[in-house]
Amino acid sequence: MKTFVLPILVSALATFIPRVIPYWVSFLDKLPPLLSRMLRLLPIAALGPLIFPGVFLDYTPHLWAGFAGISASFILAYFKGGMILPILSSIVVTYFALMLGA
Amino acid sequence: MSERNLTFSTGCKDGFPIFVGYFPTAMAFGLVVKNLGLRLWEAVLFSVTNFAGSGQFLAASLIGSGALLAELFISVLLINLRYTFMGAEVARRLEDGITGVKRALIAHGTTDEVFAISLMNPDRLPASYMAGLELTSYAGWVGGTALGFLVGLVLPLALQLAVGVTIYAMFSSLLAQEFRQKGVRVLLIAAISAGTHSALTLLFGVKIGWSFVISMLLASFIGSLIIREDL
Repeated sequence: MKTFVLPILVSALATFIPRVIPYWVSFLDKLPPLLSRMLRLLPIAALGPLIFPGVFLDYTPHLWAGFAGISASFILAYFKGGMILPILSSIVVTYFALMLGA
Repeated sequence: MSERNLTFSTGCKDGFPIFVGYFPTAMAFGLVVKNLGLRLWEAVLFSVTNFAGSGQFLAASLIGSGALLAELFISVLLINLRYTFMGAEVARRLEDGITGVKRALIAHGTTDEVFAISLMNPDRLPASYMAGLELTSYAGWVGGTALGFLVGLVLPLALQLAVGVTIYAMFSSLLAQEFRQKGVRVLLIAAISAGTHSALTLLFGVKIGWSFVISMLLASFIGSLIIREDL
């Protein structure tokens, strides 16, 4: 049976390195402002490709089922905040969208 | 949070809301990697060694698409670069005399939520408080992963497919919160990276890992040019 240990550990390393660096060295105050701003925007820039086009492709041929779900979570998170209710709502909406054959 | 005694048990109390938030998200992760073909112990190993929400979901989708290890390493590294900034703040606030393995363990537990909660304290942060806060969050993440995997063994397929939306729902909730706090430019940056990634993978056949890296760097570069002040 295929083992996934190597990619899991590679991912762990790619997580631990950026985490542990600032606990030993402090260089962040010395970065040029443009680079510093760019690095701070990376998490926001990551959200786009984390959602698209996967949220459509995962549900082929029901292309819009997943999108209906995340629209519900987006709206709830915007107005109510938090994560639990938005996530639960997206599951319910996606389930019914799949049932209805969206 | 005003003057409080920052002990191990205060840390656990502060970590409880994080536990509640992590548990269902980690369950979704357990479900996702079960469907990728991981075994239970591998799913748990994943959460134990990584302990990172979006990084783990990204790694899982790259593993699922058969990405090279180099693609995996660079993409996960980029999405986790924010921890470098968070860690810098937490490290500044730690009590003196926390060194070596303790420091490394605190670093391993520095997630977005741990960062936010710990910095609400006006005082210097003792290792015992950080241990309580991080271990409680960690328990939610690792426990949720295992339970999600096990639930996946009995859940009907249609419901599993619906639960698979959780990963995207998590990101869209994060996007909505960023949008509310920082305005419409957040959506613009996310739209640039989403559009670039979709075009590169669907139209030009670029491999998903590299496309992710390129679209992320491009969008944050454009963002840094159009946004002068710190977001």
